[in-house]
Amino acid sequence: MPYRVVLVEGDPLMMDKLTDIIQNSPEFELVATYSRYDQALGQSAIHNPNLFLLDLENPILLENLHNFAKNFPKAKILGTISKWSEDFAYKASVAGIDGCIIKPFTPAEIFSAIELYAERGKKAPPRIISFFSPKGRAGRTTLAALMALHIARKSDESVALIDADLQFGDLPIFFDIQPEHSVVDATHDVSLLTPITFKPYFHKLSDRLYLLSSPDRPELAELVAVQDLINVIAMAGDIFRYVFVDLPTAFNPISVGVSEFSDACFVVSMINTNLEIIHMKRCLDMFEMDKHHGRKIYPVFTRVNPCNEEQREKMSLELGYDITAIFPNEYSLVSTANSGQILRHVFPKNNLMIQNVEKIAEQIMSNKM
Amino acid sequence: MKGQLGLRQSATPKTQVHHAATHALQSDGRSSVIISVFSTGSGIGKTVTAINLAASLANYGHSVCLVDLDLQFGDVVNYLRLQPNRTLFDACNDYKEDKKNFHIEDYLTPYTFETAGGNEVSFDVIAPPKTIYDAYTIEVAVVEKIIKRLKNFEFVICDLSAVFSALNIAVLDLSTVVNFMGVIDFMPSVKNFKLGYDTLIAFNYPESKIRLVENRSNSQKLISGSDVERVVGAKFYYNFPNDFPSASKSIREGKPLLAVAPDSALTRGIQSLAGMYSNRPQIEIEHVGAPSIFASVVKFVKDLLGIKSLAR
Ligand SMILES: Nc1ncnc2c1ncn2[C@@H]1O[C@H](COP(=O)(O)OP(=O)(O)OP(=O)(O)O)[C@@H](O)[C@H]1O
Ligand SMILES: [Mg+2]
Repeated sequence: MPYRVVLVEGDPLMMDKLTDIIQNSPEFELVATYSRYDQALGQSAIHNPNLFLLDLENPILLENLHNFAKNFPKAKILGTISKWSEDFAYKASVAGIDGCIIKPFTPAEIFSAIELYAERGKKAPPRIISFFSPKGRAGRTTLAALMALHIARKSDESVALIDADLQFGDLPIFFDIQPEHSVVDATHDVSLLTPITFKPYFHKLSDRLYLLSSPDRPELAELVAVQDLINVIAMAGDIFRYVFVDLPTAFNPISVGVSEFSDACFVVSMINTNLEIIHMKRCLDMFEMDKHHGRKIYPVFTRVNPCNEEQREKMSLELGYDITAIFPNEYSLVSTANSGQILRHVFPKNNLMIQNVEKIAEQIMSNKM
Repeated sequence: MKGQLGLRQSATPKTQVHHAATHALQSDGRSSVIISVFSTGSGIGKTVTAINLAASLANYGHSVCLVDLDLQFGDVVNYLRLQPNRTLFDACNDYKEDKKNFHIEDYLTPYTFETAGGNEVSFDVIAPPKTIYDAYTIEVAVVEKIIKRLKNFEFVICDLSAVFSALNIAVLDLSTVVNFMGVIDFMPSVKNFKLGYDTLIAFNYPESKIRLVENRSNSQKLISGSDVERVVGAKFYYNFPNDFPSASKSIREGKPLLAVAPDSALTRGIQSLAGMYSNRPQIEIEHVGAPSIFASVVKFVKDLLGIKSLAR
């Protein structure tokens, strides 16, 4: 069965072009074309369409985009734009349509877009979650990887890990891969990319779990401009429902810029001498100064012993901020992650570290965090 | 930070850099030996080493200044329980305001401890800024000037953070010796140690400037120091043993190892390295190292890092 297509397009020349493309493809049946939003919304139902191609550059249509999502919940709805724009993509996700496609497009590109957004999951804005730590070896990468893994397994939505620890990123080792592309290529190319052409830069780790690696030489880190990296993350958010970004340690232009762009940021520190509380406090004071950015800050500690609610409350009191979660010292797990076994390893159900990670992941999935 | 790492290799051939360094040393009349303690991974033991190198050199009778250049999350003041009046931040501000009336002595935090044998030992510390916000405003060029003002000290020890930042690179450039540390436990550590070493080599320093120091060398681990030496293609200059009780006692009590664990192997190790850096006759120290039984791990790391041949 071919897709029954409704095409809404304000530019007559583009309308001709797109009409041509769709009519010449046996996979599509063009059931109606409109240049105006109100007619399209009011009259389309009678044609029983299952694919909408909507001109997002029409301001009235863009404003009322959610009405298509509401009235045609079973149809695929793609917004058409002349050039990739994070802003349009974000508005499309808020309106609850499938996603965007750059026009003019080929029939194959329509299928690619449909497939891409079907794998993405819920038609909703992305969750961009960053992982910050004042010092290394805090368990930051392990936490990011375990949460991403859990969400990819338990939801039917897709998850991207982006290794933005540009000098010394460890995620490729955690997943035991030799990536073909890195953040450096992605930031270099981003102005020429679209979600469809960008997705192959990610290395598929398992079902619905993807990784964009850090470069393999520290000096390459210098080629990455913060704004380009933010553009990369924004586009990743259009391809994947969850984007987890592992930041470089301490405050620097990359960690500051990306954490500001994210909607939630985990600040990860380990407990060793207990002096780490001082560092965490300094971090949180710094984030507090910056809080107009609206992202939520979640302080967490790893290697806490004893790892129970009483301890969390005691530490929160000492810190002067509420600690979101504490994680126990789990040598076997650290060793598993550090030797590239994280994907293959089956963690025992009663593992406290895993249980605590999953609790957090569940809250992220239900938008409570 | 742009351009700090990548460009210098092609810009200056080795011999020129070497000459430039010697020349600068003579013309500004600097007489201190600057030892920077650096690693490309956190929690490697830089701060413990920096503090105890300073303490050991001071105990040998040298004048020593320990500069905490981990500006955002420095641990020297925490590990020694210092409450500095003035910090590097104040020093930088005042220097910029009025170079002529700037006296570095005004920004030193004195530290004195008693060794287990009853000796009183002192050295000075330059504390890092009090807030991260202050740390963020510090200019590399001014820090360089401040370090050069420490020329009356025989030894200046710089404790760094674990990245190639503009500040760290400037300090590495200024240093007489780079004490480059690694703990070789997991794959990421080996990778980061190797990448760090390669990057330092690409800076074209004279080879003897970089001293590889393995910390916690006899801890339980899958990869041995000698495997790493082969992967990195260079020998460790020194190994410190794993000695968690002494290291944590020193931090818990807020005093150098010489005060709280004078006879431990770690204390003797750091003392002995201080002796080597100050040309003292060597104390005998047993060499510790795990046997090389995990050849497959080496192969993995080798493949990972794209090393063609392990033969040297
Ligand atoms: N030889 C050793 N044996 C056992 N534990 C050690 C040894 N050296 C250091 N440690 C422990 O390792 C921890 C980290 O040491 P330290 O703070 O000196 O590392 P660092 O490299 O300065 O870390 P950072 O990069 O975070 O500043 C300390 O708790 C210390 O007790
Ligand atoms: Mg330190």
